[in-house]
Amino acid sequence: MSARTPTVCPYCAVGCGFYITRSGIEYMQDHPVNEGSLCPKGNAALDVLNHVDRLRYPMMRIGDGWIRVSWEEALDRLAEEMKRALREMGPKSIAFLGSAKCTNEENYLFQKIARLVGTNSIDNSARRCHSPTIVALRRMLGTPAMTNPITDLALSDCILLIGSNLAENHPVVARWILRARDRGAAVIVADPRVTPTAWLADLHLQLNPGTDIALINGMINVILREGLENRSFIKERTGGFEELDVSDYTPDRVSSITGLSAGDIVRAARLYAKSSASTIVYCMGITQHTCGTDNVTACANLALICGQIGRPGAGILPLRGQNNVQGACDMGALADFYPGWRSVDDSREIDELRRLWNAGALPVGRGLTADMMPDADLRFLYVMGEDIVNSDPTVSRRRGKLKRCFMVVQEIFMTDTAKLADLVLPAAAWAEKEGTFTSTERRVQWVSRAGEPPGEARPDIWILAEVAARLGFDFPSEPEEVLAEINQAVPAYRGISRRNAGARGGIIWPCPHPDHPGTPVLHAERFSTPDGRARISPVHHTPLERTSPEHPLILLTGRVVLHYNSGSMTMRSEGLVKREPEMHVDVNPDDAARFGVADGDTVVVETGWGRARARARVTPRQKRGTLFMPFHFPETNLIASELLDRNAMMPELKIAACRIGRAD
Amino acid sequence: MKEILVRPERCMGCRSCEIACAVEHSVSRDLFRALSEMPQKRLYVEHVPEYSLAVPILCRHCEDAPCVAVCPTGALTQDALTGVVRHNRDVCIGCWTCASVCTYGVIGRDRRARVAIKCDRCPELDVPACVSACPTRALIYGVVEDLSEARRAASALKLARGVAASR
Repeated sequence: MSARTPTVCPYCAVGCGFYITRSGIEYMQDHPVNEGSLCPKGNAALDVLNHVDRLRYPMMRIGDGWIRVSWEEALDRLAEEMKRALREMGPKSIAFLGSAKCTNEENYLFQKIARLVGTNSIDNSARRCHSPTIVALRRMLGTPAMTNPITDLALSDCILLIGSNLAENHPVVARWILRARDRGAAVIVADPRVTPTAWLADLHLQLNPGTDIALINGMINVILREGLENRSFIKERTGGFEELDVSDYTPDRVSSITGLSAGDIVRAARLYAKSSASTIVYCMGITQHTCGTDNVTACANLALICGQIGRPGAGILPLRGQNNVQGACDMGALADFYPGWRSVDDSREIDELRRLWNAGALPVGRGLTADMMPDADLRFLYVMGEDIVNSDPTVSRRRGKLKRCFMVVQEIFMTDTAKLADLVLPAAAWAEKEGTFTSTERRVQWVSRAGEPPGEARPDIWILAEVAARLGFDFPSEPEEVLAEINQAVPAYRGISRRNAGARGGIIWPCPHPDHPGTPVLHAERFSTPDGRARISPVHHTPLERTSPEHPLILLTGRVVLHYNSGSMTMRSEGLVKREPEMHVDVNPDDAARFGVADGDTVVVETGWGRARARARVTPRQKRGTLFMPFHFPETNLIASELLDRNAMMPELKIAACRIGRAD
Repeated sequence: MKEILVRPERCMGCRSCEIACAVEHSVSRDLFRALSEMPQKRLYVEHVPEYSLAVPILCRHCEDAPCVAVCPTGALTQDALTGVVRHNRDVCIGCWTCASVCTYGVIGRDRRARVAIKCDRCPELDVPACVSACPTRALIYGVVEDLSEARRAASALKLARGVAASR
């Protein structure tokens, strides 16, 4: 092991680089994205390695307890149970959950096992972060990914942040927004909450929850009325503009829907449309709604009619959540896509893969998504590195149903999901293995091994190759060999190798051949749709869940800076937990008075879906009529809505009508 | 002479500096470090939500440092060359006189040794850990004259824009 090993942060999707040395973290000043800096989670990243709680041996359930077993025994049992389910109930009875925290190579092999045994029931956590982005941007622009790199933000003259609290969730991105501000750029933040991100704003649009489409259509209304649209761009690069009718969305009407002043809507529209290069940044505040796909469509419409796309500093940036959520999707760990964004509904698109994999037939049609799995009467479920019990409301409430099938969980910690399993396989963490991760900006980076996994824990890729062998498939088990196969299966990754992904900052896909420098800005000359034009598609505001006398408040969910998703990693980091130790709910002082709640009280928050306890934090930053709870603690899951966006199968995680009261 | 300078208007309150500081000053800063160890920070991000600001507060290493002047045992000393106020835990008696006079409230208390704990500006690093970690460059390590010069230039730019717009 050399003195310092370059690595990529295992937390969010920004893809920050740092070195691991014998004495801890060393900052990587020449990394293109973070220039050395790290957020608090990045600084605490090493806490998960060699943590006392790490899983060290394969374990099998016997009654209510566990026994330690050998790898041989564990893998044989896994293959035997999978084969039995296939034999007795067929491929419909088995399902797979890939991991947005595992490498591209691991997710590729994982979905390949699922497909070769005959099922498209494979999903990953992208379902709960950017599935609407996948559906909407693929249809409209051709490529479901960020159009520009993060550093491009510094070149923007107007940045519209909508439904993103990046100051807490992707802190390093703020570095580039501040650089744009230093040059005089205008920053607009649309968010019902006064988040630290809103602190960066020149114009904060504190809109009512769930009214994003009204706001954006209102901006488009102003732009068209004032002739600020980009006519030549619309004519030469897009289709469908004629169908876009937003005449109903006058500033006055939008004002009454969103609660914003008409003047602010006009100002935002002018700032965005008139600037020489504008960027839209959005995140879960846009996607985690039953109208998530329409929300994304509205954002893309705005960019397209203004021609604010396909140039440095002008684009649409969906900020992804996990370190490899873009990659896991590129690799086809999704119920609706094969590797390389080939639709599961089109057998011609997957013919190439059938030949590459030497397979007889491959399954067609969407498989089960994570939310559908508990009710699907499964016989076998294979979970690789996902804590679905603490991140998926449906699974959380119906975990008992999952217990009926044979469940394998491959993990680094004993998560609440692993506790349900029949077989637990100890996996290596990110710095204990090799392979590529694809960050939110399509940047593919090779991660080197900095240390050995604890006990008998093994890299996921080794485990998957062993499983495949027992099912009669011959899989490569070296990351480089798998990457070579990915070159064949995923067109955007054709030229990606250990060499270019391992260079400082890796390489941004599409990379069509080994000497290609990568493609930071997409859609410069043509869109990646079949005819090269982008599709403008009209969408309309429909009211989401409303308050009622029984549930008079709207609950909003999100993250806080010190924690990460279901907390399986950050809750084990002392420095982070100490600063953010328990579940809290933010309450506006007026609402607190109205419902008899004081700062520090233990309260119960109840929605139509369930109830949860939390500590009240009374703060004027919270918009009146709304509550906020972070989703890192299991309680939030118990009260989140189960409604789905039918296009993307995204659950309505952002809002739910609720009530609050003191616990006693 | 370089100082750790704060640009509070850029701080988002993410506390990355606090964590970086604690990690840098943990006794056994390595991968296999004892989990019982509770690393302690030496700078503090204070949230001021009513003004939509968070402000990192850290030792200013004052030119005529009151903490040094009042220290009865000489545990606090000021380097004549660099101006860094150092703390010698071996002679510190934990009387908290320094904490009583510190304008910024940045003298902490070591939980186990019961002595003072304060910023040492990371003597082993070229750039202090908090500065390297800061995602938004709210903390910078530089000389006061340069910061002031940059502030003057930014302020002149704003003024010039206004003049140009009114022409």
